[in-house]
Amino acid sequence: MSPAADIATIRALVRRAANEILRVPGAAIPGVLAPTIFFLGLSAVFGNLIELRGFDVDSYLSWLIPISLLQGAGFTGAATGVNLARDIEQGWFDRLLVSPAPRPVLLAGLVLSASLRSLIPAAVLLTVGFALGAHWPGLLGLAIAVLLVMGMGTLAACWSVTVALRFKSQSAAPLMQAVMLVAILTTTAYAPLELLTGWLQEVARYNPITQVVDAIRQGFVGEGVTLAGTWPGVVALAALVAALAALALRGMRRTAY
Amino acid sequence: MWRHLRRALKSSALQSGRVTAIEARALEREFEGGIRAVDGVDLRVAKGEIYAFLGPNGAGKTTTVRMLTTLLRPTGGEAAVAGHDVVADAGEVRRSIGVALQEAALDPLMTGRELIRLQATLHALPAAEGRARSDELLRRVGLSEAADRRIGTYSGGMRRRLDLASALVHEPEVLFLDEPTTGLDPVSRKAIWEEVVKLNREGTTVFLTTQYLEEADQLADRVGIISAGRLVAEGTPAALKAEVGLPRLEITLAEGSPTDCAHVLSRFGEQLPAKDGALVVELPQGAAGIAPVVRALDEAGVLVESLDLHEPSLDDVFVEQTGRHLEGAEQPAAGGAEPVAPPAAGEPEAAPRT
Amino acid sequence: MSPRSASEPGPAARLLANLRVIGALGRRSVAQTFRRPQLMAPILIFPTILLAIQTAGAGRAVDLPQFPEVNGFLDFMLAGAMIQATLLAGNSGGIALAVDLEIGFADRLFAAPVSRYSIILGRLAGTAALGALTAVWFIVIGLAFGATIEQGVPGVVMMILFVSLSAIAFGGIGAAVALRSGSASVVQGLFPIVFVILFLSNAFFPANLLLEPAKTIAEYNPLTFIVDGVREPVVGSLTPASFAEALGSIALVGAISLGLSALALRRRVRLGG
Repeated sequence: MSPAADIATIRALVRRAANEILRVPGAAIPGVLAPTIFFLGLSAVFGNLIELRGFDVDSYLSWLIPISLLQGAGFTGAATGVNLARDIEQGWFDRLLVSPAPRPVLLAGLVLSASLRSLIPAAVLLTVGFALGAHWPGLLGLAIAVLLVMGMGTLAACWSVTVALRFKSQSAAPLMQAVMLVAILTTTAYAPLELLTGWLQEVARYNPITQVVDAIRQGFVGEGVTLAGTWPGVVALAALVAALAALALRGMRRTAY
Repeated sequence: MWRHLRRALKSSALQSGRVTAIEARALEREFEGGIRAVDGVDLRVAKGEIYAFLGPNGAGKTTTVRMLTTLLRPTGGEAAVAGHDVVADAGEVRRSIGVALQEAALDPLMTGRELIRLQATLHALPAAEGRARSDELLRRVGLSEAADRRIGTYSGGMRRRLDLASALVHEPEVLFLDEPTTGLDPVSRKAIWEEVVKLNREGTTVFLTTQYLEEADQLADRVGIISAGRLVAEGTPAALKAEVGLPRLEITLAEGSPTDCAHVLSRFGEQLPAKDGALVVELPQGAAGIAPVVRALDEAGVLVESLDLHEPSLDDVFVEQTGRHLEGAEQPAAGGAEPVAPPAAGEPEAAPRT
Repeated sequence: MSPRSASEPGPAARLLANLRVIGALGRRSVAQTFRRPQLMAPILIFPTILLAIQTAGAGRAVDLPQFPEVNGFLDFMLAGAMIQATLLAGNSGGIALAVDLEIGFADRLFAAPVSRYSIILGRLAGTAALGALTAVWFIVIGLAFGATIEQGVPGVVMMILFVSLSAIAFGGIGAAVALRSGSASVVQGLFPIVFVILFLSNAFFPANLLLEPAKTIAEYNPLTFIVDGVREPVVGSLTPASFAEALGSIALVGAISLGLSALALRRRVRLGG
C-alpha cells in the first residue's frame, strides 16, 4: 500500500468519526461539557483546600485545570473505544479488517481523530477557566498543555480500542472510562504530593500521569515553564502511548481470525 | 374438577348473550399532521371466528390492533371488544384479551419462565395457579427446556412462541396477533398456525393481522383486506377469490392433435379466449376438476401436451381493489400506479482501495 | 383450555393485584441491574472508587479550622457517597424505563388490567431496593475502612431509610424524563446534572467551606438537608430538627418528581404510541 493510500485511509476514518458527532450533535454535548462541569464543581467544593498549610497556591481553579484538561481527553478517547465496540457489534469493523489497509494505518485513523477531538472540551474548559480568572500560562505553557492533551487523547483512545477489541461489546464502556478516570485522579489531582494521605501518596508518586499533570500545571500555577518541569511529563506520556499503541495493535492483529 | 364445572357454567351463562367478539364502527385514527392511519373501518367479528386483517406494510393493521387492544385511543368512531367499549370500559377489555404484538415486547435479560410468570401476575392470577399455568403453557409451545434461559438467547421462532404463550396465560376470550409469523422460517410458521387453529377449536376468537396471503388463506374464516387505512374487501377467502374469477385451466395441445374440442370442454365450464395458442376453460372446482377434463379429452382423441391451472389468489383480489400487488408491494400491477422506491440506505464511508 | 369469562373484581382485589404487580416489577428492576454489569458500574463501582480517591486526596481537609468535628474524613464523606450512588441509581432506573418504552415492553403492561401508574411505581420500588442496597454497601465499606457510626444501630436504620426514600424521590425525575421523551439517551444526558446537584450541596464538603456561589445555593438545596440526615448518625447524633428537615426535603422533592411523572404518563397515554 502506498503512503498516499494510507493517508487517504486515515483521512477517511477521521472524517467518519467527525460525521458521528455531526449526525447526533446532542449526544456529544454531555461529553464536551462534562469536564467543564466537573471543573467548576470540584473547584467550588474543594476550593478551600488551598488554606491548608503546605498548599502554596492562590487559586484552586488554576490548580485543577490540568486535571480537567486530561479528563476531557480521557473521555474523548474512551468514546473512540465505545464507538469501535458498537461498530464491531454491527459488523462495520469487519469491512475495515478485510480491506488491504495495514493495521497500523487503521489504528492511526481511529486514534488520530480522538487526539484532535480532545481539543474541543479543552477549548471550552480553558475559555471558562480564563473567564473565571485562571492564571494565563503564556504561549509556551499553552502549547505544552495542548500537546499533552492531544497525547492523552491518543493514550485514552489506544486503551479503549484495546478493550473494545478484547470484549467486542459496548457493555465494556465503563471499563474504558473508569480506568482513565482512576489514572488521572490518582495523581496530584486534589492536592500536592505531600498533602495526599495514605495509599494515594504512594500511588501518585509512581503514577506516570502525575508527571504529565505537573508538566501541564507549571504554566498555570507556580514559577513558570522550565525544561526540567516539562520533559518528565512528555517522556512519560510518550512511553505510555507507545506501550498502549503496541497493545492495541496486537489486539487488532489478533482480531483478524 | 369442581373448578372446571363452575367455570363452564359461568362461561356459558355469561357468554350466551354475546355473539360478537369484536365490533368497530367508523373506527378512525388520525395522527399529528393529519395523517389518517385508519380511515373509517367497520368490523364485526363473531365469537369463535378466526378473522385475518390482510394488507401491506403501512396499511393501518397495527394501528387498528392497537386501538382494539386499548393501547391507542381512536380519534373517531367506536369499538367494542368482548362486549366492552375500548374507551369507556378499557379495564374490562384488558381482562378479556390476550395480545401478542408485532414488536414482541420481550426483555432480553429475563428468562422465558420469568416473563410468562410476570404476565400471570399482571392478570392477577393467584401465585400457585400462575406458576402452574405458566409451566403448562411453556410445555404446550415447546419451550420447557429453554424456559430458564435468557430471552436474549432465543431464536425468532422461540420468541414468538413465548409471546403467544404469555398471551394465553389468563385464558382470554379474544386473542390479538399482530403479524405473528413475520420473519419466521416455514417450520416455525407452521407451528404457530397449528397452535392458532387448536386455540380456536377450544373456543378462542382470534384476530390476526398479516401481510402473507397464504396465512390469511389457510387460517382465516374471514378475511378483511385493508389498504391505506380502509377496508377494501371482506369475506371468506373462497368468496373473495370467486369475486375476482374462477380457477382457469390452460391446455396446450400437442402438435398434430385435433383442435376441435369445444364440445368436450363446454361440459366442464365456460370457455375463455385462447391464450398463446392454449385453450382456456373455467373450472369452478379448481384442481379437483382436472382429472375428468383430461379423461374427456383423452376419450375424444385430443392429444394434450401440458396443463396449467391458474387460481385467483387474494393478491388478485387486492390488485382488483387497489391497483397494486400485495406481496412485493413495490411492483405495480399492469397499468397500475407508480411504485414507491425504498429510501436509499445511508452507507457509511468505506476506506478507499488502491 | 377454553376461554374463561373474566368477572370484574372489587376495589380491594384490584389494589392487591396492583401491589403484586408493583412488587413483581420492582423485583425485575433489581434483577436487571445485577444481570447487566454496566448498570451496576455507576451505582456501586464508580462511587466507591471516587470515595476512596477523594477521601485520600482531600483528606487533610479535616485540618482546616472551620471543618466540623469528625473522627476522620471518611466518616464525613460516607454520606456523600451514599447519596451520589442513590441519585445515579435513580437515573439508571429512568434509563431502564426508557428502554422498556423503546422496545415495547411497556405495551405489555399497558395492555394488562393493571393501573397505568404501576409502571412508574414498579420501577421506583426497584430503585428504592437498590438505594437500600447501596446504603448497606457503603456502611459496610465505611466500617471496614475505619469509619465509626456514632449513633449505632438506630443510626444505621435512619440512614437506610433516608437513602431508600431519596431513591424514590429522585428516581421520579428520571422516570418523568423517560416518560416524556421515550428515549434512553435523553435520560442518560441527565448524568452530568446529577453531579451539578451534588456539587451544589454539602455532599462532598461542609457547606460552610464551599466557595461562592455554591455556598449560598447549598444552604437552600434540599439535597443538603437530606445529606445531613444521612451524615449526622455517622459523625454525631441525628437531631429531631435534622430528621424533620431531611424528611421534609425528601417529601418536597418526591411530591414534585412524582407529580411530574404522573403528568408525563397521562400525556403519553393520551397521545398514544
